[in-house]
Amino acid sequence: MRGIIEKFNGMKVIKWMIYAFFVLFLLLPLFSVFLVSFTGQPINLLGSLVNVDTLLSTMDKLKNANLDYYADMVARSGYLGALINSLQLSLFVSLIVILVCIPIAYGIARTKMPFKRTISALCIIPLIIPTFISAYAFIIMFGRAGWVTYIYQGLGGQDMLIDPYSMTGIVLVQVFFFFPYALWPMVAAFKVSDVSLEEASLNLGSKKYFTFLFITLPLALPGIISSALLIFTVSFSDFGTPIILAPKDLSLIVVEAYREIAGFFNWAGAAILTVVMVLVAAFFFWLQNLFVKGKNYGSVSGKPKAQKLSDNKKVNTVLSVYSLFIVSVPLLAMITVFLQSLATTWGLGPLPDGYTLENYTDVFSTSFDNIRNSIILAAGALVLSVVIATFISYFVVRENSSKLDFITTMPLVVPGIALGIALIQTFNTAPLQLTGTALILIVAYTIRRIPYMIRSTTSTMRMIKADIEEAAVNLGASRFTAAITIIGPLLMPGIAAGSILVFVTVIKETSISILMAPAEWAPMSLAIFQNILRGEYYTAAAMSVILVVIVLVLQSLANLISRKQSQ
Amino acid sequence: MGSVEIKNLTKKFGETLALKNVNINIEEGEFFALLGPSGCGKTTTMRCIAGFEDPTDGEIILGDQVVNDIPANMRNCGMVFQSYALFPHLNVFDNVAYSLNIKDLKEGGFLNKGKVYGRMLSNKLFSYPNHIKDKVNEILEYVELDHLSQRMIGELSGGQQQRVALARSLVMEPSILLMDEPLSNLDQKLRHTMRNTIRRIQQDLGITTIFVTHDQEEAMSMADRIAVMDQGEVMQVGTPTDLYSNPSTPFIADFVGTSNLLKGKAESINNEMFVNVDGNQLKSTYSNSTGEVDVVIRPEHLTIINDEKDAGSFDNVIEGEVLFSTYLGSIVRYDVKAGNENYLVDTTYNSGDSIYQPGTTLKLTVEPERVLIL
Ligand SMILES: Nc1ncnc2c1ncn2[C@@H]1O[C@H](COP(=O)(O)OP(=O)(O)OP(=O)(O)O)[C@@H](O)[C@H]1O
Ligand SMILES: [Mg+2]
Repeated sequence: MRGIIEKFNGMKVIKWMIYAFFVLFLLLPLFSVFLVSFTGQPINLLGSLVNVDTLLSTMDKLKNANLDYYADMVARSGYLGALINSLQLSLFVSLIVILVCIPIAYGIARTKMPFKRTISALCIIPLIIPTFISAYAFIIMFGRAGWVTYIYQGLGGQDMLIDPYSMTGIVLVQVFFFFPYALWPMVAAFKVSDVSLEEASLNLGSKKYFTFLFITLPLALPGIISSALLIFTVSFSDFGTPIILAPKDLSLIVVEAYREIAGFFNWAGAAILTVVMVLVAAFFFWLQNLFVKGKNYGSVSGKPKAQKLSDNKKVNTVLSVYSLFIVSVPLLAMITVFLQSLATTWGLGPLPDGYTLENYTDVFSTSFDNIRNSIILAAGALVLSVVIATFISYFVVRENSSKLDFITTMPLVVPGIALGIALIQTFNTAPLQLTGTALILIVAYTIRRIPYMIRSTTSTMRMIKADIEEAAVNLGASRFTAAITIIGPLLMPGIAAGSILVFVTVIKETSISILMAPAEWAPMSLAIFQNILRGEYYTAAAMSVILVVIVLVLQSLANLISRKQSQ
Repeated sequence: MGSVEIKNLTKKFGETLALKNVNINIEEGEFFALLGPSGCGKTTTMRCIAGFEDPTDGEIILGDQVVNDIPANMRNCGMVFQSYALFPHLNVFDNVAYSLNIKDLKEGGFLNKGKVYGRMLSNKLFSYPNHIKDKVNEILEYVELDHLSQRMIGELSGGQQQRVALARSLVMEPSILLMDEPLSNLDQKLRHTMRNTIRRIQQDLGITTIFVTHDQEEAMSMADRIAVMDQGEVMQVGTPTDLYSNPSTPFIADFVGTSNLLKGKAESINNEMFVNVDGNQLKSTYSNSTGEVDVVIRPEHLTIINDEKDAGSFDNVIEGEVLFSTYLGSIVRYDVKAGNENYLVDTTYNSGDSIYQPGTTLKLTVEPERVLIL
């Protein structure tokens, strides 16, 4: 008997609380959006559990559930068009990213091209800049008054080089700011390709480019395809670029979903678009996992063989110049934003008309609250993630809880806009009316970013052997005390690295902030977004610089920690 | 207080039956070894005693208390892990002080708890009270580690880590001490030194100790009594000499020391026991069974008859041919073939003795009381 009570102890309770958290804030909202896509009217599942009237009305709505709204979607070219446009966008972006990355990846993995370190270092820039700031940077570069346009016209060009407010503009921003996601897996793929096969081919008298095309490339193909699928999902879920750049006549599914909910409170439409988004993203995520699993780099056993790096001078110079060009575009975009933040005004010209710090003093006087909000919200999400992720990694590693493992990777699949819509739908009425509070915002950030944290803590947890914890228990500590005094400190490096990642991504977060943040809790990303919409470019620039600096500082801190840890 | 009684202990892992109805009684102050081949259930037995595994069936009694329902952290069994399981982020002193901190945690109010947690997380911010300092220093001195108290665990040799693990368990004054193959990570020489150290400390403190090993020499040289286990069952419990001279099964005879395991046919003639081993009629004082039997003769109990004329005066004579000889320092071991059976024969070697060459025909003899019939 006491054994049973013993088993129903603290750890068990915590495990159930974690399940409850994910069921309440992830599974239930997604499920209820799924139902709404059939009923066309908001459904209050939580209310149905506590209130008979609500239950009856829910039953009523469910009885009337039908496929009309889906039929409508197909019939109304608006939605279907948006889906097709989005798929097209993602397809373009992933194909172009792969083509762009092949030479760079090959150069980094297999040659002695000059400036390799600089190129690798510059690849970090796109990762730390939120996409809506990148999109906005493209406007001030390529727009009517942009310096690129100035140069282009100076060279005799008409109008603009590229219109940033177009499909082309969106594709370019996403290509230049998402390519590092594909680059590193591709570098790895080129590194593990079997060199002896290539040597054999060369031995048989094949030309070098022939060997590259028919031996090296096919061997790296699984890695390349998996990267393409990753980019596809990232591009499909991206909200920051399209919301800034999509022109009126170009509808994209994320923007459409946002408009339906934020503009028209059209639950049926938003629900259908959400379901479609989740399904598409999940499908490509699943495809990608299939590739990663089947053709794991781990299948190449042991130490990677020492590879001979090519030192063909001509080829390497070309590769280096090309790579430097690609990585310099995001850098130039960032420099442009920085100059704008210091500008008094900046008309059509290569440089601002004058320089001032006023934009920054403006930001600190009018938007200090936004900075504070960002930090409070990110800190809240961080604390919640640390606590939940620590216990989850404990359960996943020590108790092999694969169910928990599965549930907690699910947020990776759900686009931010989709999660936002699902949460708003579920929590906008009693009994848990949370929409519009800081709490639900923090919860949303946490759900969205906790997979990073879990990955970090779980890998550290795997390095802590079970007998260390048992030793503590043997010496008289309860499981709880052992967790605090032994597991906790040993887990610290993993927690620290994960925390910074969570903090950074929350500060960068666009879709959730724009969709869910109430005015009094508006974070920096929302404020910048609104400034851009209002055409207040100078303050937007100053605030973007502040945001990027915060992110940059924290990111380098994280790198420092992970480097220390690996020593 | 320090006695251990294991009653009908059974443990299943899913379908695997790791322990089958194990019964062991260990007296207070005894040094008790669990000996057996890999996978026989030694660790599982120990983990059941420590409370890390729930027995599927049976009882574990420490002192006069059934402890099945007492959680692992309340059992007060010191355990030395095979991997030592020292806390890598703490130094030697903090490692050893751990259990004393835990004891402090259970006393005093909220403030005290905070202070104790504080010093367990950072020894720089909160200092230890004197009663802990004294006790830790005393035990560190005892295991000759006082000069290393501020070292991190990673900066210690294997033998030093072993002693830290021992000190960490001893400082909480456990009612019993459990050691799971504590010497298996050490090199040959250190292992011999540590055997003596552990045995000395155990004798000194008079603490009931259960020692797991698969090394029969280790068990024989250290333990008061030994339980030999195989496939989850206890085969025999006894003192080292017991097990050696009266093994209850061929498995034990083989596992404990070296033996000649032979097949024979036993019959009783005129109230005397004879066993026929491949044509050689051997007289034995053992009379448990007749018919097909296992016969065990230890190599050192076989003697070579040097003088042909004496052969008639022995009860048992086996004639065979030397296949080869091995020189083992103070003894010479011959492999002698007699019919279809091979016999190992150990003879003491004094310098100047000549060694029989392969091919030599010999006569061997063995006392009837040394012919074990199982
Ligand atoms: N957690 C477990 N789950 C399933 N089977 C287990 C588990 N622990 C032990 N076993 C099985 O129980 C049996 C006994 O294992 P145990 O670890 O007690 O052996 P041992 O005598 O300590 O061996 P060794 O000398 O190799 O340490 C083995 O067959 C083992 O595979
Ligand atoms: Mg074992």
